[in-house]
Amino acid sequence: MKRKIQKVLIANRGVPAVRIMHTCMDRKISTTAVYSAPDRLAHHVFMADTAVHIGEAPPIESYLNMDKMIAAAIKSKSDAIHPGWGFLAENEKFAQMVIDAGLIWIGPSPEVIKMMGDKIKAKLLAQKANVPTITGISDVTDIEQIKRWMKKEKVDFPIIIKAAAGGGGKGMIKVENNEQLAQAFSQARSEAKKAFGDETILVEKYIERGRHIEVQIIADEYGKVVHLFERECTIQRRNQKIIEEAPSPSLDDGLRQDICFTATRLMREIGYTSAGTVEFIFDSSARKFYFLEVNTRLQVEHGITELITGLDIVGIMLDVAMGKKLPFKQSDIHPNRWALEVRLNAEDPKNFSPSFGTITRLQVPMGPNVRVASGVYEGADIPPYYDSLFMLLMTAGANREDAIRVMDRSISRNLRVEGVKTLAPLLLSIIRHPAFISGEFSTRFIEEHMDELISMFKEKNSEDEVLKIARYVAEISALGQQKWM
Amino acid sequence: MNNFIFVKPGMSPKEIVKAVRSLPGVCLTSVGMRDAGQSDFKNRHRIYDLKTLAPYYNNMGLFSAECHGGARWHVGVMNRRESPFEEISILRELMPDVLLQTLIRETNLFGYRPYPKNVIEYVVSKVDIDVWRCFSFLNDVRNMRAVAEVVMKRGRLFEPTISFTAADWTTNDYYLGVVREIVALCAGTDEIILCIKDMAGVGDINRIGNLIDVIKQAYPELVINYHRHITDGLAIPAFLSAAKAGAKIFDVEEDSLVRFYGHSPILSVHAVFEESGIPVYLNRTEAEAAVQKVREWIGHYEWAESPFKGLDHTVTLHKMPGGAFPSSFEQADKGEFLHLMPAILKVMALYNRIVKYFDVTPGSQITWVTCSGIINRYAKERGDAGVKHIIKLITKFIEEKNQDFNSMEKDEQEELLLLFRGAPGDFKNLLLGNYGRLPVGWAAEWVYRSAFSDEWEAKIKERKELSPLDLLKEDNIEKLRNDLTENIGRKPAEEEFILYLMHPKDALEYIEFRDKYGESPLVLPTDVWREGLKKPGDKVDFELWGKPYSIELVSIGSEHEGLIHVVMRVNNKTRVYTVETPRAKKIEVRLAKGAGDIGAPINGSIWRIGNPERGALRAGDIVHKGEEIANLEAMKMENAILAPFDGQIVEVCVKLNDTVREGQLLFVIEKL
Repeated sequence: MKRKIQKVLIANRGVPAVRIMHTCMDRKISTTAVYSAPDRLAHHVFMADTAVHIGEAPPIESYLNMDKMIAAAIKSKSDAIHPGWGFLAENEKFAQMVIDAGLIWIGPSPEVIKMMGDKIKAKLLAQKANVPTITGISDVTDIEQIKRWMKKEKVDFPIIIKAAAGGGGKGMIKVENNEQLAQAFSQARSEAKKAFGDETILVEKYIERGRHIEVQIIADEYGKVVHLFERECTIQRRNQKIIEEAPSPSLDDGLRQDICFTATRLMREIGYTSAGTVEFIFDSSARKFYFLEVNTRLQVEHGITELITGLDIVGIMLDVAMGKKLPFKQSDIHPNRWALEVRLNAEDPKNFSPSFGTITRLQVPMGPNVRVASGVYEGADIPPYYDSLFMLLMTAGANREDAIRVMDRSISRNLRVEGVKTLAPLLLSIIRHPAFISGEFSTRFIEEHMDELISMFKEKNSEDEVLKIARYVAEISALGQQKWM
Repeated sequence: MNNFIFVKPGMSPKEIVKAVRSLPGVCLTSVGMRDAGQSDFKNRHRIYDLKTLAPYYNNMGLFSAECHGGARWHVGVMNRRESPFEEISILRELMPDVLLQTLIRETNLFGYRPYPKNVIEYVVSKVDIDVWRCFSFLNDVRNMRAVAEVVMKRGRLFEPTISFTAADWTTNDYYLGVVREIVALCAGTDEIILCIKDMAGVGDINRIGNLIDVIKQAYPELVINYHRHITDGLAIPAFLSAAKAGAKIFDVEEDSLVRFYGHSPILSVHAVFEESGIPVYLNRTEAEAAVQKVREWIGHYEWAESPFKGLDHTVTLHKMPGGAFPSSFEQADKGEFLHLMPAILKVMALYNRIVKYFDVTPGSQITWVTCSGIINRYAKERGDAGVKHIIKLITKFIEEKNQDFNSMEKDEQEELLLLFRGAPGDFKNLLLGNYGRLPVGWAAEWVYRSAFSDEWEAKIKERKELSPLDLLKEDNIEKLRNDLTENIGRKPAEEEFILYLMHPKDALEYIEFRDKYGESPLVLPTDVWREGLKKPGDKVDFELWGKPYSIELVSIGSEHEGLIHVVMRVNNKTRVYTVETPRAKKIEVRLAKGAGDIGAPINGSIWRIGNPERGALRAGDIVHKGEEIANLEAMKMENAILAPFDGQIVEVCVKLNDTVREGQLLFVIEKL
């Protein structure tokens, strides 16, 4: 059934909201932004054609408030809602409310979201579709249950506790020994409750030195499921990705075919539509992959897949939501580039302590083979209430070496962010590290190399130095001669 | 031009000494970059200005440029925010052919207290200087051993120095004894240059010629450098007398730098010597150019000049050295006792006959603090009459009674016994031998009774006969380095560490300043450095690391609640700086410091105090090791704060839902 979309409300803020608006602009589709009180002057608000205030700072009153979101769509005469990533993106109740309100939901069906949102059910479905899974238990309510399972299945530490409703690293804690178990369990439950409103927990064996590989899927309403190849997202801190690349440097062509078709098979089996991702953990020594979860939404790192395939995934989501057929088949997809993405979070690169405040100066990288997805502008505030991601930096090249080289230039010579601390020094250290360059790393890369990475932070550059001098001149000009002189 | 270079860095001490000996006449050391500034401008001359002289120095044919050491090091760190290491590297680049010279105190190095031998060796081995002029304010040659050994082992030129003053006890025999010890320490006269440091400029014309003559007769091959301040007005004739007696090197400065407490003008000295038939090794054209160059910037330093202007022959009585004048007057000015200066100088003239040593650092400071203390005490307690009274009393004791304590009246004795009661600790250290051996023996017994009261006999027994080099316990250098690392939160550069070894407190301030303001002290012109940009449109252009920069003032806002907004264009981009005035409200954030202080691991908000099992925690509650005592949320991630040990909560320092920053104090827990 064909439907027309003339105006999209983007139920999000920052980087994802801006990203989606870009494609809407390409398509001459109007946009509505929503904003919480501290986001009144945010970048995504200025970008949109209209904007609706939906509440106070806490997400629960604004970006997670479903009733207000629907009301905003109706008020702004929007006919569709794109949830972006995070917030309500994987909330089947919200998807259903959107549809029930007579609006178009840009994403997979509420049924699929629900099915995959329950990690326990998703794992069963994966097993049914013949997708390899990791040993684990579900519906855990106390730690004795975990101990019994470990004994019965002969599982050793480390294990990982996850929120059944989770994603994005929240409510996910690795446990090394018995002593940590109780604390980790209660923290995971509490975080799960806070982030997803559901404290159901599952526990799995933790694959040491695992690599994180995921497959991008797109599917239409007519049963056509196509994969756009894989991404490697192994470089993580606290279970949150910070560097992603496509293709994966750890797969050969055989394994690549295998993992991509496995993902396609699963998604076809569950009747997936729109864009989504199947995540795997890859045990590189055993050269085996295991199903992790399905992300029923657009992902942060979708841009690198766009760079290697030349496709616009948000555009495809819009087309699918309008009931169009995918205009290509699997054999039409030919990635011909290597792409790299780093996440610029407003955090102290030495300890990941969040750094909020005003971006007093912003100079964005330019030049060949660079793509920037920014959620902010110079002068914008980074409020403490939301995710610390404020910009994605992507680079491409004919091969991995090229893409890394361009990334090095972008971070080290072109990028300037003043006012808040960013992960930039750490990201630069990582892409310059020999283990990263040779492709030999695991999800523990950062924790294993943190001191070394910090020691690689560049000490000084003349741009920063001249600002120190300017600060001195400003102070003396205002205050006059100082006593200590 | 290069034919004027006769000694240069890289030559061995032997080659340098030989080159000086073979000159037909005399040569010059320029103190324009150090002692000139110290004597008349409170050591405020910035390397930004001094370096403009370097290209001339490089062609001038100088024996050396004294550009380092003395109080320049400390004032650089404290007041100019320049590092002596930066200065050396700048000058090395701009005058690669000139021997760089320092002035160093034997055990006090560039500071004011004796350092242990291992610190001396460590520091001396890290400073890239060619000529090491080393003196002892006690002429205790034993104290020079550590510096001499390291310098000579490095193949650098050691210039042992005798402190000179004019007194009844400073006879030729006395000085010959000192020279003998020096020659023994340095294994002969072929690899050293001897300096005679007439630091107050008190040697009269014949005395200087006579002393040098006596030394040259005993050691004909010894190369002698005469260092003389000009306050008495007789420096140039004294130079002539010294040159005729065989001195080879003379300390001079640019004519345009000469004021009242420094050194002789280079061009005048050149003219006098040439007229007297003594050839001077000097490229006079370059020297004239340097004299002119000084005029371009010396006006920026008028504020630093001594308010006590003019030459004064009475310096031969009080003997305050040139280098100590500006700082003493600065203190007198700040302490509002400038009017007492004549009385203080009078007491100094008497005091130096009671306790005999040389008025040069740290001796000059001891003299100054002791004598200004005495006069201030009398002025405060008994006014002008009291000041007159004490001067009269000491004069009587010295001049009438020839320092025979017992011949004084009973009440006068009692008053003398209180004279040094309030003397500074360093005066007492001096009496105890903590700096080394006094030149002509310990002070009289009544001085000890005066300084130490009832403990005087015990203190006399404590007196040390050995050099501090042999007495002081070694410092743990790596521990000190770790202390510094901890203090500044990062690994210090080697140079920063050496600054810290010399002056720990001031070095920390310096490092903090430079971390915050970068290379401001090196690149900003002196007017901007001191006063900033004054009116809209004023700008400063400079180069940093090979690239041009420009800072232009757009406007300075008015003060509001202790804040001033300054708008500037930095390389054409407009920037607004918020400057806090002293009236700015400080938001006090207590930081976790002590062992029982629990700090926030990251920035975030405290959403729970206590834990789900026990509920909220309060002061007085007992907590167990590993128990969660609070939880901090940052960008949707939770961070449990755990008790580090079993203990009792003394204080909960935050409220629920407070936003805290990294390191902020959350709890104080007392260990059980």
